[in-house]
Amino acid sequence: MTVDPTLLLAADGPVTFPILPALILTPLLGALAIFFVPARRDDAFKQIALLTSVVTGVLSIYLLTAFETGEAGFQFVVDQSWISEFGISFHLGVDGISLFLVVLTGVMFPIAIMGAKITHDIKSYYGWLLVLMAGSMGVFLALDLVVFFLFFEVVLVPMYFLIGLWGHGDRIYAATKFFLYTMLGGAFMLVAIVALAILNQRGVGGDLTFDLVQIAQNQAISTEAGRWIFVGFAIAFAVKVPVFPLHTWLPDAHTEAPTAGSVVLAAVMLKLGTYGFVRFGLYLLPEAAHWAAPVMLTLGVIGIIYGAICATMQKDLKRLVAYSSIAHLGFVILGVFSITTQGIEGGILIMVNHGIATGALFLLVGWIYERRHTRQISELSGLQKVAPVFAGVFTLVMLASIGVPGLNGFPGEFLALLGAFQTARWWAVVAVIGVILAALYLLWAYQRTFHGPVTPGNEHFRELRWSEGLVIAPLLALIVFLGVYPAVMLDRMGPSVDALVEHVDEQVDDFERVEITYVGASDIPEPGHDDDSDGPASDEHGEEGE
Amino acid sequence: MLELTETWYLVLASLVFTIGAVGLMVRRNPLVQFMCVELMLNAVNLSFVAFARSLDDVRGQAIVFFVLVVAAAEVVVGLGIIVAIMRRRQGADADDISLMRG
Amino acid sequence: MFGLPTQDEPIPFDELPLDDPLLFDEPAGVVIPDIEWSAIAPNLILMLGGILLLTVVSLVRGRTPSWFSAVWTISTAVFAGVTLVPLWQRVQDDGAESVMAGAIGLDGFSLFVTGVMCLSVVLGALLLEGYLRREGLAGPEWYVLLLLSASGGVTMASANDLIVMFIGLEILSVAVYVMAAMHSKRVSSQEAGLKYFVLGAFSSAFLLYGIAMVYGATGTTNLVGIQQFLSETVLTQNGLLLAGFAFMLVGFGFKVGAVPFHNWTPDVYQGAPSPVVAYMASGVKVAGFAGMIRVFVVTFGPTYGADWRPMVYALAMLSLVVGSFGAIVQTDVKRMLAYSSISHGGFILVAVAANSEAGTAAALFYLLVYTFMIAGSFGIVTIMGRTGDGLHALSDYRGLSKARPGLALLFTVFLLAQAGVPFTGGFLAKFYVINSSVSQGQYVLALIAMSAAVVAAFLYLRIVVAMYFDGNTYRGESATLAGPKVRIPAAAGVALGIAVVGTLWLGILPGQMTSVAGDAVAQLVAIGP
Repeated sequence: MTVDPTLLLAADGPVTFPILPALILTPLLGALAIFFVPARRDDAFKQIALLTSVVTGVLSIYLLTAFETGEAGFQFVVDQSWISEFGISFHLGVDGISLFLVVLTGVMFPIAIMGAKITHDIKSYYGWLLVLMAGSMGVFLALDLVVFFLFFEVVLVPMYFLIGLWGHGDRIYAATKFFLYTMLGGAFMLVAIVALAILNQRGVGGDLTFDLVQIAQNQAISTEAGRWIFVGFAIAFAVKVPVFPLHTWLPDAHTEAPTAGSVVLAAVMLKLGTYGFVRFGLYLLPEAAHWAAPVMLTLGVIGIIYGAICATMQKDLKRLVAYSSIAHLGFVILGVFSITTQGIEGGILIMVNHGIATGALFLLVGWIYERRHTRQISELSGLQKVAPVFAGVFTLVMLASIGVPGLNGFPGEFLALLGAFQTARWWAVVAVIGVILAALYLLWAYQRTFHGPVTPGNEHFRELRWSEGLVIAPLLALIVFLGVYPAVMLDRMGPSVDALVEHVDEQVDDFERVEITYVGASDIPEPGHDDDSDGPASDEHGEEGE
Repeated sequence: MLELTETWYLVLASLVFTIGAVGLMVRRNPLVQFMCVELMLNAVNLSFVAFARSLDDVRGQAIVFFVLVVAAAEVVVGLGIIVAIMRRRQGADADDISLMRG
Repeated sequence: MFGLPTQDEPIPFDELPLDDPLLFDEPAGVVIPDIEWSAIAPNLILMLGGILLLTVVSLVRGRTPSWFSAVWTISTAVFAGVTLVPLWQRVQDDGAESVMAGAIGLDGFSLFVTGVMCLSVVLGALLLEGYLRREGLAGPEWYVLLLLSASGGVTMASANDLIVMFIGLEILSVAVYVMAAMHSKRVSSQEAGLKYFVLGAFSSAFLLYGIAMVYGATGTTNLVGIQQFLSETVLTQNGLLLAGFAFMLVGFGFKVGAVPFHNWTPDVYQGAPSPVVAYMASGVKVAGFAGMIRVFVVTFGPTYGADWRPMVYALAMLSLVVGSFGAIVQTDVKRMLAYSSISHGGFILVAVAANSEAGTAAALFYLLVYTFMIAGSFGIVTIMGRTGDGLHALSDYRGLSKARPGLALLFTVFLLAQAGVPFTGGFLAKFYVINSSVSQGQYVLALIAMSAAVVAAFLYLRIVVAMYFDGNTYRGESATLAGPKVRIPAAAGVALGIAVVGTLWLGILPGQMTSVAGDAVAQLVAIGP
């Protein structure tokens, strides 16, 4: 293998057992156990699901503590050949970019399992949730193109059943739309993956390989082919994110999905696309990603504004949160395609924090629905008077989602905008409007839902239960903790992101920087917020002032 | 006097084959369709013989025997099926036989 | 005008591994060529098994128990499959060879296809057993025909001579015509048989005419001989040869149900007895594709690939598009699956159009996976048709997940595998095909194929929706299954088990099988490079 040695520095870290396969296999074993337990033992299923997902979550947190801070390369690497004929292997690894998404997956699934009640088909419900967890883990861990694709596609099936069997309203339409949209994106990606591997083989000779690290290091394909292949990847990821014109499945899927489905969809599955853009866009095809950056930035900004405007107009609380997701993920796109350290770090921060905040929002909306059997904002007036604690929790989560400084939404959006200002100033200027709009639609929705006179039917709105409080407490703690101390994440992702940006610069330097002018980071006024002690504002982009 | 070369036989064979193929597509009576199949197969036989002669290769003629046997076997089966249908209903016509769409 | 080769001497046959007595001028009487019976053992076992079964049940006084024929058939097929192992070893050690005076090719390709045929016979027989008892149709003829047609399919796949291939095709087809029409209690079965027969005979005639033209152009029907002739001779006028390609392609196109020669497929699949359809969709198609690959890729591929590839390309594209879109408007599950099998045929044609070793290996792997998936799907259809084999409307599946959750789950696995969902064989089959297509630079075709797979996925989801969800009721209470109770005969259960294990096995641990497919293609009867 001709792999850059820096990428394998921590190949065998302090962990002595294969923790990454364990992260995928534990929920899968749980699903198998559920499959074999007789259907009448209803109580057992939730316990099995909870147990295995919590074990996975604990493993992921253990991964976080065992992670070697300051290393840029992949850690805990496992490489097991699968189909030698094609050079496909189960190559797994985490670096600072995927680490937090793995932990997010590990944390959000137990919460989703605990937080949502289900009344029928209990067995298959928990089985599918665990399969979904295994698949999501696999996507974030895979370092082989085909294995990545396998996990990327296989998560459709459990999600399809979750929406279709336990969803609301027009659930079959929503589930089918979700499945077909994502699968169509996958179709393009599969052809792109195969083309990339074959062209890479022609470029460097040797055996066919689908190994992400090798192909990314070789950079053996021509510029034009690389751009076409990027388009293939981008369609798949853009559907999953979703980026503006391909987003129409999301409001339906989110709205009709059961609570746990919405939580997982928002917290984890939307990140598959943005993570894909970082890993398989910037890292794998840096030149093409740079080439496509203006388009992606534009689409990201359109997403921000469009999502915000649509959210403002929604009458359904859940749909409103769904559209707010489009806006938030627009910020991720903006940050990532600014191709600066700050921008990418900001993008990853938003991915994680959006997962926490929006996941919590969907939980709360789900609980409102359980109590009132409606999600219409107009019918939910005056809840604050009846359930002040519930309202308080909602306020905190909502403020985090808006991006109020001190809560976890802020550092990510700030860094993303900061990064975008360096390379794509005007896009960033427009994106700022989105921040304001976010405050508008969320506060307005809050005002209509929780303030005002108590509408009939809301008089006996149940206050937050203890059990519910326990479920949401970890999320609230994270919202505050990551808001005041994002360095815990930035320290770990910093080296990987720096290496990624360097990698892009190596490939792109030979080309003109189209429509993007780099501004030295020193030109930017020193940001005066609380997370800069770790210095994400590294100075390697000072090359070309205006 | 025009000399009859193999080419003439080939042209004749292609004409017969075309008649058979068009007949099979146009006519709806299974029995007529059968005859059309026979026509097609025999056109092929004719071209095999013509080719065998022009190539001076006896194998082309031997092939004809195989084809004849195959054609006979096909007819046996086809007529069997038609008889089975005729027993159940009056008259066998491909247009009558339309329980299924398509 | 027809570009006949006008050489004085026949083709230099003495360079070929032939000792055909008809070639020699001296009147040596009848020279019996050396026949190595062991080389065609699997084929002989299938054929003799069929004939013996017919003999035994005719001689035995009274009716034989219904399980007897099924057990006989399955053991015959398994035995034939077992004899493949030493032959495979021999081919891998000593290389491919042609036997039976050059008429039969003993190579990895033919052995692989033979194995798949045996598999589809086993699955077909397992499904037939319960079906015949349910429909009150007991009779060993079904099994005899099944074995004979499989023998024809094997002949077709291993033929190294166009005429042998034609005869194999006819043995295969004639037996299946009868099987399609044999449900004596259903008129639609006989209609299906007639329709299949007329169009099958039509396509056979086309194939035969194509063979005649190729014979006229090259002077031989031996595939190695043709290949050698074409690589040594530059035809100044190749119109006859190209017309031969076109006619043969029409013939094969009908057999494998490629658009625009697919019209019979939905009708025949709908009308024919369900287990027979399971066999037709798997075994017959496998044999058809094997013949097609042997003729086009192996024989004409090296010299005339550029001429036939556009035609196959077009067939593939049309099959993919029509197969997947045509399925959307159907309301009958058997017709839906028929269209989906057309679309699968398109996928295999994509691999054929690649005209490469990788493409052939991809086609072989696809055919194997396809046999498991489609036999499994039609196995479910067989069970769900219930007495009378008539309940095939989509609405007849409504509520299956409540009445028979296991059956619904199995069907879901087969359908998702057909859609190409990861960790099923269907995904890897598609991946294999896309790989071979892209490595030949056919990006557009690969994209069309994958997009068609998405459209086809909509069809599979419709069936899943019918089984699991019911749009009319709210939350949980899905409709109860209408019609009589669903009974799963033990044998059919075994068939479904084999099919689902195969489908998942090829999806999760495909390494072994992909290398077997690769080895199979590496050993082909052909002239050296």
